[in-house]
Amino acid sequence: MANLRIDNLNKSYGTARVLADIGLQIPDGEFVVLVGPSGCGKSTLLRMIAGLDAVTSGDIYIGDRLVNTLAPAERKIAMVFQSYALYPHMDVRKNMTFGLKFTGVPPAERQRRVTEAARMLQLEKLLDRYPRDLSGGQRQRVAIGRAIVREPDVFLFDEPLSNLDAALRVSTRVEIARLHQMLKATIVYVTHDQVEAMTLADRIVVMNQGVIEQVGKPLDLYYEPANLFVAGFIGSPAMNFFAARVESIGAGGARVVGPTMQPMTLPAAGLAAGAELTIGVRPEHLAIGDRGDFLTSGTVELVERLGEASFAHVARADKKRLVVEIRGRETPKIGDVVTFAAGMRDVHVFDKGGRRVETVTA
Amino acid sequence: MAEPVSQLVASMPRARMLALMTLFLGPAVAIYTLFSIYPLIATMTLSTYTSDPSGVFTFVGLANFVTLLGDAVWSRPFWNAAYNNLIFFCVHMLVQNPIGIALAGLLSLPGLKLKGFYRTVIFLPTMLSVVIVGFSWNLILSPLWGVAEGALKSVGLGAWFAPWMGLPHTALLTLALISVWQFVGIPMMLIYAALLNIPDELTDAARVDGLGQLRIFFHIKLPLVLPTIGMVSILTFVGNFNAFDLIYSVKGALAGPNFASDILGTFFYRTFFGFQLQVGNPTMGAAVATVMFLIILVGVCLYLFVVQRRLRRYSF
Amino acid sequence: MFERQLKSAGVHLLLIAYSCLAVGPILLVVMNSFKKRAAIFGSPLSFPDFTTFSLIGYNKVFSASHVVLYFWNSLVVTLVSMSLVLLLGAMAAWALTEYRFRWTTALSLYLAIGIMVPIRLGSVAILTMMRKAGLNDTLTALILVYVAQGLPMSIFILSEFVQQIPRDLRDAARCDGVPETRIFFEVIAPLLRPAIATVAVFTIVPIWNDLWFPLILTSSDSTHTITLGVQQFLGQYITDWNSVLAALSMAILPIVAIYIVFSRQLIAGLTAGAVK
Repeated sequence: MANLRIDNLNKSYGTARVLADIGLQIPDGEFVVLVGPSGCGKSTLLRMIAGLDAVTSGDIYIGDRLVNTLAPAERKIAMVFQSYALYPHMDVRKNMTFGLKFTGVPPAERQRRVTEAARMLQLEKLLDRYPRDLSGGQRQRVAIGRAIVREPDVFLFDEPLSNLDAALRVSTRVEIARLHQMLKATIVYVTHDQVEAMTLADRIVVMNQGVIEQVGKPLDLYYEPANLFVAGFIGSPAMNFFAARVESIGAGGARVVGPTMQPMTLPAAGLAAGAELTIGVRPEHLAIGDRGDFLTSGTVELVERLGEASFAHVARADKKRLVVEIRGRETPKIGDVVTFAAGMRDVHVFDKGGRRVETVTA
Repeated sequence: MAEPVSQLVASMPRARMLALMTLFLGPAVAIYTLFSIYPLIATMTLSTYTSDPSGVFTFVGLANFVTLLGDAVWSRPFWNAAYNNLIFFCVHMLVQNPIGIALAGLLSLPGLKLKGFYRTVIFLPTMLSVVIVGFSWNLILSPLWGVAEGALKSVGLGAWFAPWMGLPHTALLTLALISVWQFVGIPMMLIYAALLNIPDELTDAARVDGLGQLRIFFHIKLPLVLPTIGMVSILTFVGNFNAFDLIYSVKGALAGPNFASDILGTFFYRTFFGFQLQVGNPTMGAAVATVMFLIILVGVCLYLFVVQRRLRRYSF
Repeated sequence: MFERQLKSAGVHLLLIAYSCLAVGPILLVVMNSFKKRAAIFGSPLSFPDFTTFSLIGYNKVFSASHVVLYFWNSLVVTLVSMSLVLLLGAMAAWALTEYRFRWTTALSLYLAIGIMVPIRLGSVAILTMMRKAGLNDTLTALILVYVAQGLPMSIFILSEFVQQIPRDLRDAARCDGVPETRIFFEVIAPLLRPAIATVAVFTIVPIWNDLWFPLILTSSDSTHTITLGVQQFLGQYITDWNSVLAALSMAILPIVAIYIVFSRQLIAGLTAGAVK
């Protein structure tokens, strides 16, 4: 296993800039997830680490070795593809050992590795089958097996769960997490699903339009998103946003008003009068009530009941919708005008540029 | 692949459905049967007859075939033509298809510029009439004009030149190579299309596995287009054993020099329609046509039942 | 990096070399058709310039043969055959896909055999039939034969296209009470436009370039097609290099022109059909 370092990486196709000034340090054994909406550049970044796409400028180090000019096979990486990419004309065993032949691994050693990987992934009975005779989940395990036998420094996963159905996705996710613990592998994993990111990652890299928005542990991103984009991307359902303005600065703090919220006082330093802000509160942090640091209200339009948690979709004054999580069996009725409250700890403040403003918590 | 029949269609009254089918299918099936299937059967039937100068036809069973294959006068030119046809086919299989595969492989390399230009240019000869191609090459290779000779001289191979088209032991090969030159575009395009079908992720996985482009071609891409190569081969077979135009337009019906370039197509033409010293013989001609058909049929059946079944392994 | 560029250069070199081989002979013929006889033999590889330019070959071709008539015949035969192959083929493909009987599959197979069956082998009987029907030596005979030849492949290709038309589209018109024939001509047929390119590639070129059937079925000069006409002209004027080169060029240039204009569609048509 090895660490991975990326310095000032840029990628352009002609005049179109796809990745801008990417910098990343991944220590040995860490599970890092690159997450973001389509087109954010995460797959491109992964392919550049793998050596499948060329670097426009910047450096990539695997295990302290500069790998920019090295072919994929020379970088000691292994990749698991979204569509598994198994060779249809070879059986499972051959699929797994094929690459090893060309990197000079002797036959005995090849057999040993395949047997070991098959045991780890419960593929022993499938070794003589062909890919088209396997189910999606089995194919995915073979693809992972093919990566394992290479004994790489870094594992790369490119949206491996996207082609699986929901139930299979959950079980395979658990398998991948288990594998990480067993192998203590350095893993770079790409997905657009933030649930996968949150559950699998040691650290998450949130990307948007070719730029890294924030890097951090899952819960850090959840509780302290660095900007509006990360705040709205992590967490499902997404955070509610309220447009606001600093009306005046007083002794207790800044008085903040907004069209969809009741005036509140923010104990924040460094805010100027007249500054435009966005207030963010997650659906799970709002509760029915009319006393609290932050208050908002609206008419209930729809209630989605999922069991212990239900989600109320509430129409606000600005015609946008507010989503609130309600716990328990008592749910508001459609048409009710309800007030919701949140504590100061759960109020996120972002400035005009979308950047996080630190509030001194009570 | 085929969707279930629409409920509305299924509930149509039977008579109505039959009327519609006749309307839509009738003309096509009629023309096809009348001018494609029936003539073939008629020819095969005719081959079991013999005719005398007065036009009377007498049934003789397989006698014509016995004559064709065994009789000294008939069988020598027949076997000569059959043997030549086989050589013609082998040259195509050994030269045309590998070159077509190689060109397709080169064209399918990722990031290649000017792909469209190369494709268009290399496919151009296929569009031309065989008459044009044959005659043009005849001129180019002709010692009178000297273009080919000059070209060889300029690379120091002037001693190699000979009037290949006119020499009995090189005429057939030269014509076969000209045919290859013309038709290489077809296997190239078909295999190129098949190569495009291979998902990019497969080549990516191979690159990560450590294979260079050449190895990727031989170990991954080639096995996966084997079904197409099989199809190309059988089409080459059918086409070659049906060939006529090139030999006829360059060498005439006598397929000289000395019948060295005679293939089954020209033999058939001569037998049926006659030429110069030879009188046309419709029944023997029919026999030749029937033998040609049987050869092609055997080849196709062998392909369908032996080769294609094995090739199913390579489908996705 | 450098190694990659070297490899790329190598690939281009190979492709350019083969392209020259593919186009060279054609260029040679066309170039020399515009030269005087002496220049043809004296400097065959050079471009015609003011001193060597000559149209003498072309004059001969026009005066000694009915090249325009042949061209017209070819055009008529090819276009009519193509139209019939498309129309009848589409109708048949539609019927085979939509109206399924027990024997529909057998019928499809019967028609598909035609792709492999060499129609030339039945020439004996075809000629007899044409003579009896009085169609000997007519363009109609050629058209009938070419339609029979082109139908199997066209039905095969068009069936694939018809199957891709969403079933809802086919049913919606029926719910509106539209009669079947109108459904075909006004709903289905327009949707088959992309198929025209594919069918055209497999049909037009073999018909235009065919030598065998014009040779066998037409005897008089007035029904010759361009391919046959050129072939006979070449045979006749074989020592007249100017005329020969001119005739060849005249046969080459229209095809090349059409090919270059439509090359994208043609190649797309070929690859689309091949993938099936």
